Amino acid sequence: MSVVEARHVTKRYGEVRALDDVSLVFPEGNFFALLGPSGSGKTTLLRAVAGFVEPEAGEILLDGQDIAHTPVHRRNIGMVFQNYALFPHMSVFDNIAFGLSVRGVSRAEARERVHRMLDLVRLPGMEERKPRQLSGGQQQRVALARAMVTEPKVLLLDEPLGALDKRLRQEMQIELKQIQRAVGITAIFVTHDQEEALTLSDHIAIINDGRLVQVGAPHDIYENPGSVFAAGFLGDANILRGRVENGAVAVDGVGPVTPRSALPGQGSPAVVAVRPEKVRILAEPSGQACNRVAGRVIQGVFSGTSVTYIVETAAGVQRAFRQNAGERIHGAGEGVVLEWSPEHTVVVEE
Amino acid sequence: MRAETRRRWAIAGLTGPAYLWLTLTIFLPLSAMLWFSFQKKGPFGRHEAEFTLKHYEAFFTKAYMQDLTWRSLEMGLQVTVICLVLGFPAAYVLAKRIRGRWREALFLLVVLPFWSNALVRIFSWTVVLRPGGVLDGAVQFVFPGAPAIDLADSWNAVIIGLVHSYLPYMILTCYLSLQALDDSLIEAARSLGASAATILWRIVLPLAIPGIAAGAVLIFVPVIGSFFEPKLLGGTQGVVIGTVIEEQFTVVSNWPLGGALSFILLAIVLLILAVSYPFLKDRMRTA
Amino acid sequence: MAQPWEGEGMSRHLLPRIADGMGRIFLALILVFLYVPIAVLALMGFNESVHYALPFEFSTKWYEALAGNERLLTASFNSVWIALANTVVATTIGTMAAFALGRFRFRGRTVMQLLLFPPITIPWLIIGTAMLVFFFWTGIGRGLHSLLLGHIALSLPYVIIVVGARMASFGPELEEAAASLGATPLQAFWRISLPVLMPGIIAAALFAFAVSFDQFVISYFLAAPGTSVLPVEIFSAIRKGFTPEVNAISTLVIFVSMGIMLAFARLSKFGGER
Repeated sequence: MSVVEARHVTKRYGEVRALDDVSLVFPEGNFFALLGPSGSGKTTLLRAVAGFVEPEAGEILLDGQDIAHTPVHRRNIGMVFQNYALFPHMSVFDNIAFGLSVRGVSRAEARERVHRMLDLVRLPGMEERKPRQLSGGQQQRVALARAMVTEPKVLLLDEPLGALDKRLRQEMQIELKQIQRAVGITAIFVTHDQEEALTLSDHIAIINDGRLVQVGAPHDIYENPGSVFAAGFLGDANILRGRVENGAVAVDGVGPVTPRSALPGQGSPAVVAVRPEKVRILAEPSGQACNRVAGRVIQGVFSGTSVTYIVETAAGVQRAFRQNAGERIHGAGEGVVLEWSPEHTVVVEE
Repeated sequence: MRAETRRRWAIAGLTGPAYLWLTLTIFLPLSAMLWFSFQKKGPFGRHEAEFTLKHYEAFFTKAYMQDLTWRSLEMGLQVTVICLVLGFPAAYVLAKRIRGRWREALFLLVVLPFWSNALVRIFSWTVVLRPGGVLDGAVQFVFPGAPAIDLADSWNAVIIGLVHSYLPYMILTCYLSLQALDDSLIEAARSLGASAATILWRIVLPLAIPGIAAGAVLIFVPVIGSFFEPKLLGGTQGVVIGTVIEEQFTVVSNWPLGGALSFILLAIVLLILAVSYPFLKDRMRTA
Repeated sequence: MAQPWEGEGMSRHLLPRIADGMGRIFLALILVFLYVPIAVLALMGFNESVHYALPFEFSTKWYEALAGNERLLTASFNSVWIALANTVVATTIGTMAAFALGRFRFRGRTVMQLLLFPPITIPWLIIGTAMLVFFFWTGIGRGLHSLLLGHIALSLPYVIIVVGARMASFGPELEEAAASLGATPLQAFWRISLPVLMPGIIAAALFAFAVSFDQFVISYFLAAPGTSVLPVEIFSAIRKGFTPEVNAISTLVIFVSMGIMLAFARLSKFGGER
C-alpha cells in the first residue's frame, strides 16, 4: 500500500493550462476519484501520476519519493485504460503475464499468479482466448487483472467503465470496488460521471479548468458543496443569489433565505444552494418556520419512482424532487409553494 | 526535461535513415540536375562551372520542342479522357451493381494488372498489334478479306497501350469514391421523383468528382512523362517530349538540355498538381 | 433486384434489368481488354513458331531456351537479389520512419509526410535521369549498387505510407499499457508495436519487392552496360527484335509480380485483425 501525492503540479499545452498548481494527497488504500468535465485536466493529472505527462513544475511523490521525471516503466504502477488497450495479438494469459515476463518472473510462477488474478476477476479458464473473443465486460476484467498482477504500488484507472453499457457498468462498479478493497491497493480513477464517483470512491477531487475545486468524502462534498460549480457538477442544485441582510440572504422577489452556515458581511452578495430532494413541494404554505418560495409548475417529470418538478419562481427556475409515495401529481400551471429548511441551505462561492 | 530529450533522439534516430536516404537519392539528385540544367556542360571531365540559360532558351526558340511537349500533353489528355469514359462506368457497375464476394474478386481482378509489370504489358501489345499479329489474325478470321490491320508503330497503338496501363487507376479511384457514396442518397433522390439521368448527373457525378479528379491527375502526370511506351508502340510516330529527354541522356549525351527539359516538364506537372491539390489531399488519406 | 427507375408498366421492371445486364457486359469487356493481351503474350511463349505464326502449335522450347540463356539468367539473378536487398532495407528503415511519424507529434512532421509525395508523383523519367546525373557526378556511378540505391528510394514512400496506415489503426495506448506494465520503450516496440504492425509490414515488404522487381525506368538509366536486370534485358530484347523467348521470360515476370501483389492485396485488406 502506498501514498501518492501531487505537489504544485503544473502542466501547460501551449497557452492552455491543463494543470495549474494542483496539490493533492491520495491516501493509502483509498479509492480516489478525479471528477470533472472533459478538458478539465483530470486525465492530465492521472497521466502525470502514470508518467505519460511530464509536469513543468511540481513534484509527484510515491511513498515520499519524487517520481515526476521517472520513466513510466520504472514507476511500478498499474493502469487500466479507457478502451482497455489489451494487446490484440496476445492471448488473455499472455496479456496478463506481460508485466511479469518483462520483470523476469519465471513461467511457472507467472502461471500461478495469472490463475490467481483470473479467479479474482472471476474469469477462470479464459487463458487461451484472444481479446477480440471477449465481451466488453470481460475485456475490462482482463485489463484489471493485467494491471494488478504485478502488485503495483498504485492502480490508475482512466474512465474504466466508460465503454460499457449502463447495466453492466453498475455491476462492474460494485465489483471493482470489492476487488480494490480485497487487494487493499491505492487506486486513482478518472471519471466524468458523478454517479460513478459517488458510488465507487472513498474520496473525490473535483477538478475544473486545471484547478482543484474541492476535495472530500463523497457524502461530505455532496452535502457541503463549496461552490456553485461543485454543487452543480456533483448532483443537482437550486441556486439562489442575493445580498446579505440581517443574517439572511435577501433574494429579489423571494425575501430572506436563511442559510445553515455563516455569511459574509452585511450588504455583500451571497449565493446559496439547495438540493432538489431537500425541497418540499406543497399546494399551500405549511406555516412552519423555513425558507419558502412560491411558484408555478412548468412541468412534472415523472420517472416511475419519483417526480421532479420544474417550477418557475421569482428567483428563476427551481427544481423539487419527490419520491412517488402515491400523492397527487401537480399539473403544469398549478401554483405551488417550495419549502426547505435552513439546515439544507448551503452558502457557496460563485 | 529528460523525457523530451529522449523523445527527440528517438524521432531523429527513427526518421533519420529513411529521410537521409530520400535526400541523397531523390532530393539531392533533383537539385543537381537543376544546377546542371543551368550549366554549359554536363558533369564530364574537368571544366569551369559556367552559367547559361541556353538550354531553357532552346525550348522556347525551337518550335519542334514545343510541338513535342504539346504532343505529350495531347497524349496525356487523350489517355485520361478515354480512361475516364471507360473507367467511370466500369467503376459504377462494380461499386453499385455487383454485390458481395463477386465485387471483391472483380475489383482485385481489375487492379491486379495495374500492379504488375508495366513494361511487360506494353510488350504484350506489340505482340497483339503487330502486322500478322493476333488482332489482325482475329479480324481476318471473322471477316475474311477485310483490309489488314496494322496498328504497330502508330499513335493509336501508343494510346491503346497507355490506356491499358492506366485504366485500372481510374477504376480504382472512381470505385473508392462511388463506394463511399451512400445508396440511401440515390434512393432518396429516386423517392423525390428524379430520373436515372438526373440522379447520375446531379447526385452521383458531383459526389464522385474527387475520385475522378484524383484518377485524372494520377494518370495525366505519368503519361506526359512516359517514354518507353511511345518508343515501343509508336516507333517514329511515338516521338514525344519524354523520348527526347530520354535520348539526351542515353544517346546524344546532352545532359544539361535533358535536365532543362525535365524541369520544364516538372514545372508543368507541378502546375497541374497545384491546381488539383485540394482534390488530391482528401483522396490520399482515404486511398 | 429490379428497382423502380422510371417509366410505366413493363418497362418499369425491364429497363433496369437491361441496364444492369449491359453494365455487367461492359465490365466484362473491360476485363477482356485488360487481360487478353497478357493472355496472348503468355500463349505465344508456348507457340512453336519464332515468327508468332498461327495456327498455334504447343511447345515448351522457348522455356527450355531460357534455361540456357546466360544473359537472362544473370539478369534474373540480379533482379531477385536487388529486389530482396531493397525489400529488407526499405522495409526496415521505412517502418522505423512510419513508426516515428505515426507515434510522435513534432515540428516538421507534416513536412516530412509531404516529402513522401514528390518521389511518388514526379515521373520516374525525371527521377531516373536526375539520379544518373547525380550518381555520375559524385562518382557513385552506374551499376547494380546505384540501382539498389535508387530502388530503395522509390520503395521508401510506399513502405512508409502502407505501414503508416496500419500504424493509424491503433493508438498509443498499447505502448502506454506496455510501459505501465514495466516494459522499456524497446521492449514495448519489439513485443507489442512490431507484432501488431506485422501485417502492414509484410504488405509493405511485398510492395517494396514488386516496386524493385518490376522497376524498369530507374534501372534503365542506372544499369551499367553488361550488368543488367530483367526489365532492362526485356526492353533491349524488344528493341532488337524479339522472339517468343522474350514472351516466356515476360510471362514468368508478370506472374511473379501478380502473385506478389495478390498476396499484398490479401494482407492489406484482411490484415485488419490478426
